[in-house]
Formats: sequence, structure tokens, C-alpha cells
Amino acid sequence: MTVRWWREVGWRHVAALLAVAFAVVPVLYVVSAAFNPLGTVVSTSVVPTEFSLVHFRALFDDPSRPFLRWSLNTVLVCVAVTGVQIFCSALSAYAFSRFRFRGRRGGQLSLLLIQMFPQFLAAVALFTMFTAMGEAIPALGLNTIAGYSLVLMGGALAQVWLLKGYFDTVPRELDEAAIMDGAGHGTVFVRIILPLARPILAVTGLLAFVGTLGEFLLASIFLTDTQRKTLAVGLYGIIESDRSNNLGVFAAGALMTALPVVLLFLFLQRYIVGGLTAGSVKS
Amino acid sequence: MIAVLIRVLCLGTAVGTAAALTPSLVSGRHYAVLAVAWVIVAVLVGTYATRRPLVAKYLVPGTILLVLFTVTPVLATLQLSTTNYGDGTRTTKQETITQVLATSVVETPDSPTFHLAVATTGNPVAGPFTFFLVDPATAEAFSGTEEGLVRLEPDQVTVAGGFVTAAPGYTFLTPKQVNDAAPHLREFAVPTEGGAIRSRGLREAFEGRAVLRYDEATDTIVNTDTGVRYTVQRQGDREYFVDGGGTRLTDQSWRAGVGLDNYRKVFTDPRILGSFLGIFAWTVVFAAGSVALTLALGLVLAVTLNDPRVRGQKLYRSVLLLPYAIPGFISILVWSGFFNQDFGLINGLTGLHVNWLGDPFAAKAALLLLNLWLGFPYMFLVTTGALQAIPADVREAATIDGAGRLTAFRRITFPLVLVAIAPILVAGFAFNFNNYNVVELLTHGGPFTPDNPNAGATDILISYTVRLAFGAGGAQFGFASAIATLLFVITGVLAAAQFRATRSLEEVH
Amino acid sequence: MKPIQRRCALVAAVTLLAVAACSDGQPASPAPTGAAPAASGAPARQNADLVIWTSEVASRAVQPIAEDFGRQNGITVAVQVISADLAANAITANTAGNGPDVLMLPNDFLGGALQNGAIAPLPLRAEDLTAYESGALASVTRNGQVWALPYGMENLVLYRNTKAAPKAPATVEELVSTGQAAVKKGTVERALSLPVGQDGDAYHMEPFFTSAGGSLFAIDADGQYDPQQVGVGTAESIAAASKIAALGEGGSKVLTRSVDGTNAIAQFTDGKAAYLVSGPWALADIRKSGVPYDITPVPPFAGGEPASPFLAAQAFWLMSKARNPAFAQEFITKTMNTPEAMTAMYTQDPRPPVRTDVLASVSAKDPDMAKLAAGAKNSTPLPDFPFMSGVWPPLGQAYAAIVGGADPASTMQKTASTIESVVPAK
Repeated sequence: MTVRWWREVGWRHVAALLAVAFAVVPVLYVVSAAFNPLGTVVSTSVVPTEFSLVHFRALFDDPSRPFLRWSLNTVLVCVAVTGVQIFCSALSAYAFSRFRFRGRRGGQLSLLLIQMFPQFLAAVALFTMFTAMGEAIPALGLNTIAGYSLVLMGGALAQVWLLKGYFDTVPRELDEAAIMDGAGHGTVFVRIILPLARPILAVTGLLAFVGTLGEFLLASIFLTDTQRKTLAVGLYGIIESDRSNNLGVFAAGALMTALPVVLLFLFLQRYIVGGLTAGSVKS
Repeated sequence: MIAVLIRVLCLGTAVGTAAALTPSLVSGRHYAVLAVAWVIVAVLVGTYATRRPLVAKYLVPGTILLVLFTVTPVLATLQLSTTNYGDGTRTTKQETITQVLATSVVETPDSPTFHLAVATTGNPVAGPFTFFLVDPATAEAFSGTEEGLVRLEPDQVTVAGGFVTAAPGYTFLTPKQVNDAAPHLREFAVPTEGGAIRSRGLREAFEGRAVLRYDEATDTIVNTDTGVRYTVQRQGDREYFVDGGGTRLTDQSWRAGVGLDNYRKVFTDPRILGSFLGIFAWTVVFAAGSVALTLALGLVLAVTLNDPRVRGQKLYRSVLLLPYAIPGFISILVWSGFFNQDFGLINGLTGLHVNWLGDPFAAKAALLLLNLWLGFPYMFLVTTGALQAIPADVREAATIDGAGRLTAFRRITFPLVLVAIAPILVAGFAFNFNNYNVVELLTHGGPFTPDNPNAGATDILISYTVRLAFGAGGAQFGFASAIATLLFVITGVLAAAQFRATRSLEEVH
Repeated sequence: MKPIQRRCALVAAVTLLAVAACSDGQPASPAPTGAAPAASGAPARQNADLVIWTSEVASRAVQPIAEDFGRQNGITVAVQVISADLAANAITANTAGNGPDVLMLPNDFLGGALQNGAIAPLPLRAEDLTAYESGALASVTRNGQVWALPYGMENLVLYRNTKAAPKAPATVEELVSTGQAAVKKGTVERALSLPVGQDGDAYHMEPFFTSAGGSLFAIDADGQYDPQQVGVGTAESIAAASKIAALGEGGSKVLTRSVDGTNAIAQFTDGKAAYLVSGPWALADIRKSGVPYDITPVPPFAGGEPASPFLAAQAFWLMSKARNPAFAQEFITKTMNTPEAMTAMYTQDPRPPVRTDVLASVSAKDPDMAKLAAGAKNSTPLPDFPFMSGVWPPLGQAYAAIVGGADPASTMQKTASTIESVVPAK
């Protein structure tokens, strides 16, 4: 542990550990609530003192809270919405980054602005819209996972900005060289830009996934059937009915909800942290 | 070659889906949905059936979804903002009158409750229907249609268990069919001297009469018992049926267009204007502060950990992500417990006795602290991604130049990252500007003073205006939509200004 | 070409998923009737023959009864838990023709529901309902029509930790002194747990407020609230507010804004509070906790008026645009309107039944029910005016400010004018 190590590397650990403490204390509290058999606000401390799986059992054994079913619905919604979001956003970001066309600036600006409309204030309009939609096509109406996913897909271009910002940093010489070799714009996009943009694709994928996972305002309006709920709205129902003593069950549910995000992140890490040096196409 | 094949397959699927949906949409008269479906197909075919290098090929998929599920609701909200739609005005005038008349049916005193069997000579869905009734006291059977009531001789029908179970020429409805015929049976009444016999539930009928009658010619409702006439009168932004003294027959009004009244209300209501400036200022501080704080912490951590010599990077990154992995509303509820003055974790760990959520200044700090915790992992992720985009040779060049680490960061890394994430910062500002969830779940906009029970110390524009729109007057969707529209405009103007500022940033490099 | 294939495989996978999600549990043709809903996954809204919307706690109680009803009639039944804002969502959905057939909510739903034409009167006469407690029945009766079938009573009572306070207090003063003595002895950490919170809680403060002489609205000759006469700013109410202030953070500290809805019951179930003011919803948690307890009515101030909490009745409502009105009517007026069904409701969700015969029979086995019901002796009905959404928050905030040490007189006067401004003219 030389002075130089501290100056170059050591301080980084200190800073990171401070941030970890800040990040982890509330999470620890949730963990300790989930494993504390009493599971009340008053009896829970930051450091887990007892260990019992009673709240997890309560989650899985109660037919009025089909937790597995909720998880499955959540995965369906998250995967569909994330996939569509990244697909559409990447395409549009490529267009904004590489093409020069009329209305490009105006299009970007209006896109940015339209995304700022507070969507839950349009909930009444959405509800009316999907009521009509459900009468025409029952599979896409209210109280269907597909219909709810469609509503969230209204934000299909939410990730355009990050992607475009990243695409802009990819040197144009690469495109031009490929076009010299006779590649079309589609090939450039698929063979050059996308492989190089892996880190940001992974980041935006994670952002889209988490954003979808935590949505409960619209879900509580759209999904009424117990069998069709997502984790967020199901858990929200548990708190709503809770009068301060459901903390344990609720914390257990929260942990189970956070788990897929952490797993997804672990899986995506190698893409996120690779940088341009590892950017050559490996397929 | 494969690309062409895929294109053909995808377009074929789109056309096929639309074609498959068409018959049921036509038979159900859902012409709007039908038109939308085929317009989408036309756009897709028009875009992808050519080989020309069109920009549209990249913009169409996202734009279609955006137009359908974001732009359309926004336009519908605009339309809604010109109506008085809300609590008390959810129905049309016709529906209101029908409901008021229907609920004025009173049961004839001393009349029997009949055992009912519903039968038809036609089909069980549309009728025509006949009521077969048994008076349980006398065991007499009757048949009733809209023509009137007919007493039956015992040999005309089969009676079992107090109910008519069969009659020649009639099909008797099952309970499920009775239920499904409800729209017709609601209107169905057998006229009698004392009023009319109506069905109740599945197996009962009773005699009653509607006390109220609507007279279309004069647009009045008359109480046939008292003779009181109720005429339409406008009160505030809606109309009611009122008697001569101005007392309402019912609080139920009906939906009507009110033009720009909702907007006028925003600009003339002293309650709104009185608090607007202070709340607007705090909203800007809150949004800008949240973005600045999360960016600062996120970026510092990203730079700190962006060094291959740091061991355990993966672990650090995963742990730092945790606040982001737990759904927001759960963390906020947990945090609101932490801020409790007597039992909260924060005062407990620090030995302070701050009334976090009861003191206006402390509540603002609490809100920013919570938003920092919720948001820094996001910025950490985003800036980590942006750092990856800085070519290694640039970074090496900076350090070889002999520039100090801080200087290199300030002059090279930071501007490059900022350019890459400028739109994210603008979007983050806009998001927090309207971050209803965090304010509502942590402080409800409070703490409040009795001087102004509508505007709390931590209220941002959206939480404040939502309270006005859904508070004392019940849910006022028309008014709320007008507010949403105005908020949208305010946010848009601010964002556009920021966008211009970041443009100048881009031109530097 | 490889990357292209991979990309499109991804798109195809997403599309397939979306399709799978669409077809998931959605039979293309109407579901055969009589299918057990529990077995096939709950049916879609449009295919269920009876749809009930409720909260999580109540859903456990009604589910078995509803399933039984479905079996008897050979129909599908769906009991759906609505997570957020049940009343508002039900009214909105009902307007769109997408709402439930039956809704379970307390009686203060009546005003707003009538204003929106969201409910239909029950085909029942008052004389059909003689078995029901008259006050609760009155609270769902309007214009000579019965609008809901009440099943469970809700009113505040005083829960007492008998280890900390063996004897029931006769007055608030006695409650405070015995509670504080128990704190001194170290048996508990708090004398009283009554939720105040930073936003205040007008519902929980009502018994103290009324006993000290305060009133929200004047009561007219018919025993109805007269909202034109707001009582909050009167001299009596200000005096009552001063008594509350004396119990607050600037006085004996029995009341504090730190105790709120999220921790009030837990304080008691963890054995940290000698007394708790709460309703029947706390009972299950208290029993589970093992804290030795007793239930008595909320006591009055010495020499004061009786403490009168609000009385709410949980009830079954028939929606005006129910798709299955016949089954809904049958379910409420025939199936639920029986001692057996009401007893079953109590078994799953213990609160005093509104049916007097059932209350008597369950109280014989479960004395707590009689004790909870006794707490309603001096109660007044929970007001159901649609404008109450503009009354509860300012009144609550006033209590929070007063408990926090604000001046009672000016606070109550300002609040009174706020409340007067939201009450519509006659």
C-alpha cells in the first residue's frame, strides 16, 4: 500500500465505499424487514437481527396474491416494452445521427417536448381510448397484458437521446469507409454502429426495463384482474390495504422485484464496460 | 437476400393481421379502429416496399407507436380540457334524466312480491318477453306483457315450487339468459292500475311506479305526487334540474362543452395565482437541484470507478445500482419512515431531532436527499456509458500532455460526457419538473399552514394543481386537463430554452 | 449476414412474446359458462358473469361466498382487488361501461356515487332490512331508497394494553395519567398511540374533538348534518382545540405528529404504547401480536361531552351500469342478505356485523365484537358529502398544526373559513 497506490487507486475505494454506504442502508432496511418475522415498522432496524422466511412464504402461499403469476406478467411486459423501445429508439437515433433531412431539428425538438407530457394526467383519455379499443379487439383492451404493454410502448422513443448521443461519438470515417466498400446504410447500421454501441444498448435496455418495472399508476387503472397484475401494482395493493403491519410481506415482495434487475445488470455488465477498444465485431 | 425475405414476411404479417381483423371490426361497426389499422398498414407498405434509402424506414416504427399512444391521448386531453367533464358531469343529459327517473320508482305499498319466470316466444336475447308471475300468497298465476297483465287459469301453465315452469309455445329463460337480457328487461314493465310490474334480480317482480316524469317539450321533470316542476338552470359551469326555489332535484348534472372556461379559471382564480410564483420557483429549484445533485454524484462515481486498476468494480457497480433496482414507490415509502422525527432512522443514527417532514425547509431538503438517492444510480449508469464512448487515445493523450488529472477531467472528459448526455439532462429536468410521485408519496406537498391549506411547502406545480383539480370539487377532469396542457407548455418552453443552450455546447466541439 | 439474422430473430421473439401475451388466458370464443374461475385462471372482465371490485382485506372474506354463488348458478365469478383509489376508479370505469357489477366500499361513497349516477338503488325496502342496525342502514338510505347492503361496522375504540394499564380509564385525563405512569415505570414507551401525522388526521381526532365540545357541522332538527353551519370556528370548537393542544407537543406530548397511519398500530402491537385509538381493522394484528389487550369506548374528557367517533358501514353497492345487473341484484339481496353469509364475512374479516342477529351470535363466541360495537354508542355517521374531499385535508392540517404547537384560535378560524368556502350554497 504505497502512497502512490493511495493516490492512484486507494482513494477510489474510499469514495466508492462511502457511496455504497449511502446506497445500501435503505436497502438493508428492506432486507431486514423482509426477514424479520414481526415485520412491523416499529420492530425493524437496519441490521437484520432475525432470520425467518415467513414473509416469503406468505407471498407464495396466498392464492389471493399469485406472486409467480405477477412475476410472469411483469417479465412479459418488461421484455416486450424494453425490446420495442430499444428497437425503435435505436433506429430513430441512427436516423437523427447520420441522416440530414428536412425537419430533422424540428422533429427532434418536438419529440423531446412530446415526451414531457405528464402521461398520468392523460389517464382519463387513455382509459376511454382503450375502452373503445377493447370493444373492437378484446385482446388489446383494458385488463389485458397486451393492451397495457401497448400503452407503455407509447414511450417507444424514450431512449433516443442517449443512443443518439453515443452514435454521434462513433467516428464517421468508419461509415464512410464501409460505404466506399459498397455497403448500404442498413448494413452500416447493423454491422458497424450497433456492435460499437453495445455499451449504450445495454445501458438503455436496463433503463427501459427498470422504468417499465416500476410503473404502477397506469397499471392500477388498467389491470384489475388479480391474474393479470404486474408486480408493481400487486405490491401497491398490498401496501394500500396494509395499515403498518404488512411491511414484512411488502419488503419481501420488493426484494423479489429488485432481483431480476440486479441479475440483468450482472449479465449486461460486460457489455456496458468494454469501451471502444473492444468494439470490433465478434460474431 | 435474407433482408428482402424478412421484409416481405413482416409486411405480409402486417397486411394479414389487418385483413384478419377486418370482418369482426366491420360487423362490430368499429370503423375508427378499422381505419387506423389500415392506415398503419398503408404507411408500413409505403415505407418498406421500396428499395430507396429512406429516412422514414428508421423513423416509422417508433413514430407510429408515439402517435398512437402518446400524441393521441395528448390531443384527447386537449379536447377534454374544453369540457366540464368530472364528478357530477360524467353522464350525458339523456343518461342523467333516465337514471333520475329510474331511481324514483317506489314500490306500491301492500302489493305482493311476485315469483317471476321470464319466457319468450322469440329468441332469449331480444325477446319479445313475457313475465309469468305467481303471487306467493294466493298462488294465483299471471302472464304479463307490455300490453298488460292477464290472469291465468291453472290449466294454462305448469306451476312447480311456486314458479311457472312451462307454458305451451313459450321458451323459458335460464338465469344466465335472464341476466344477459338485462338491457331489454330494464326497459320492460307490465302496466297495471297502480303503476307497473318490473323484474328484480332473477326470480322476483314487484309493482311500483315512477314518481318523476320527464316532459320533453318543455324540458322539465315533474313530480307526479307533489306537482313540483323542475326546470333546467345553470349554476357555475354546469346545469341542474331545480325547482322554483332553486333547490336541486339531484346533484347529478351532465357533460357539456365549456370552451376556454377552464383556462380562464386558471388565470383568474386568486387561489392559483396567489401561490403560483413561489411554487413555480421551488419547482425549478427542485427539478434543477435534483438533476445537478444526481449528476454530480453519479459522474464522480463513474469517473472514480472507471479505472481498470480498481478491484471489485463489478461488485461496486452492482451495489450502487440497488437504489435504482427497487421500484420507486417502495423506496419512497420506506424513506418516509426514515424521516420520522421520533422513530426515524435518520434522527436515530445522527442524534439530531429535526422534524424532517414538518419543517418547511427541512422537508425541502428531505425531498432533495431522497431524490438524490433515487436518481444517482441512473446518472451513474448513463455517465458510465458516456465515458465508454470517449476513445482511449483521447484519454491517453490528455494524461501524456502532462495535464493534471483534474485539468484533464475538466477540459476533456467532462465536456465530452456533457455533450453526450445533454438531452438526458434536459429530459431529467422535465421529468422532475413533473415528478408527481416522489412529492405525493413523501410529503403530499406538505407541510401546510392553516393560512394556505392548498399550497404546501414542498408542492411542485403538478402536485399543487392536481390537488386543486381533484380536491374539494371532486375529480374535475376537464380542469385537470387544462392544467396538464398548461404544464406541458411551461415544461416545453423551459426545455426548449435548455435545448438551445445545449446546442451552443455542441457547437463548441 | 449473421448480425442481421440475429437482429431479426430478436424482433421475431419480441413479436411472438407480444402475441403470446395477447392470447394468454384469453379464449377467442366466449368462455364456456360454469367453468370454475379458480381453475382456469380468472376470466377476462367481459366473460365473467359477476364482477366484484374490492380491497385486499375484504376480498378474502367475499371470495368464498362469491365462488359458492357462482357454483349454484352455474356462472363465472371474478373478485378483483383494485390497488389504488377504488372509489374513483370504479366510478370512472362504470361510466365507460367497464366497471364492476358489485362494489364494496364504506357508506361515505354514497354522496359522490349519487352525484355521478354510478349506483342503482337496491330492490329492498327498509322493512325487508329490520335485522340491520338502524344507524348503519340509515347511512346508506337516501330519498326513501336503500342504496347499499351494509355488512360491517367501523368506528374508533380504545385498545388498552392491560399489562400497562389494568383498569379501563373513565376519562381522557385518567388515560393520560395512567399511560404516563406506565411510561415512567418502563412498561411502555408511549402513553397513547393516536395517528396524527404531518398532514393530520381528522377522522382519528374526532372523538377527542367532540368530547371537548367541538363540532364539524351543526346537526339540524332531523338529526342530519347541516353543512351550511360549519362548527369548526365556533368558541366551543376553539376551546376543544385548546384541549387538544394541551395534549400535543407543546403540552403533555401524549399526541405527536410522529405517530401516523404507518406506525400507530405497530406501536401498540410491539407493546410500546399503553393505549391505541383505532378501529376494527387493527384487531387482527393486535391478536396476532400477543399483546394482552382490552377494548373500551373512547373515553370523554372529565366533565365533557360524550366522545363521539364517526360510524362507517362497509357495504355492497350495485353499480348503475353493471353488465350483469340480475346476478348482481341476486347476489346482494338474496345471497349476502342472510345470516350465514354475514357470519362468513365476519369469520374472514372480523368486524362487528351490521345485522343485529349475527352480531349477537358472534358476540357470544367473540366478546370483542360486542365491545367494538359498544364503541359506536355515541357515534355520528361518517359524512358522505361529495365535497368532503375538500374538508378532510384542511381540518387534518389544522389538527397537525395545533398538536405541533400552533395557536388554536387563529388556526381553527382560518380552517373554518376554508371549509366554508368548499361547501356549496344550498
